[in-house]
Amino acid sequence: MVDALTTTIQTASLVLAVWCLVSSFRGKPMLVPHLVGIAVLEVLLLVQLVVSITLMADGHRPADTPTFVSYLATAVLAPVACAVWGFTERSRWGPAVIAFACLVLPVLMVRLEQIWNPLVV
Amino acid sequence: MSSETTPAARTTGPGRLLVAVYAVFAVAATGRSAVQILTRFDEAPLAYTLSAVAAVVYVVATVGIARAGRASYWVAVVCCLVEFTGVVAVGALTLAVPEAFPHDTVWSAFGRGYGFVPLVLPVLGLLWLRRVRPRAV
Repeated sequence: MVDALTTTIQTASLVLAVWCLVSSFRGKPMLVPHLVGIAVLEVLLLVQLVVSITLMADGHRPADTPTFVSYLATAVLAPVACAVWGFTERSRWGPAVIAFACLVLPVLMVRLEQIWNPLVV
Repeated sequence: MSSETTPAARTTGPGRLLVAVYAVFAVAATGRSAVQILTRFDEAPLAYTLSAVAAVVYVVATVGIARAGRASYWVAVVCCLVEFTGVVAVGALTLAVPEAFPHDTVWSAFGRGYGFVPLVLPVLGLLWLRRVRPRAV
């Protein structure tokens, strides 16, 4: 996996998490700027997906392929799921859900790295 | 479902966040235990069976909290209690007799591998369920 890309996703995700927490504390629902943030995160995750598929097609294999693929699929679907959640919950709890997802994503990225290369923990 | 059961809908506001967290845990635990059981069940049958049980409890709890109705309410309460008991019991056992648990489960060491969320989640779940308790039960 490409370290710089993973680090970028983690940073972007944490920034979005803090932003959404602030919005939640201020009682704001999910608004268009949040959606733009989610879209940026989703694009980064799709790049991660494409990079991983390319590496795997080249013969690189994670130590545990089924787990790796399921974690990656979950990561890619997470921003979409929380955007839908933000639309249905028009209160401060919409951004709260997004913030939670954005706190889970960096952990997912760490797990992906661990599964990809178990020696580097 | 019956409308008289919940004064405030269970899945609006903070309940929405709770359902989201539960859903993530349900998906994560189900996926993890499915992979473990399908690929290497022989290595640690106890740990992986426990993971599967935990996964089922999270799925049922998610549905119980998300659905309206009195039956779902009590299903959710029972699931939260089972989770809390499970995480405390397994957590204590993994610290007392670590050799019995060579492989990690969601509940090992009070859910340390998952940031202690498995320990906190059922407590938050029960607090929330108490707040939205159906009338006349």
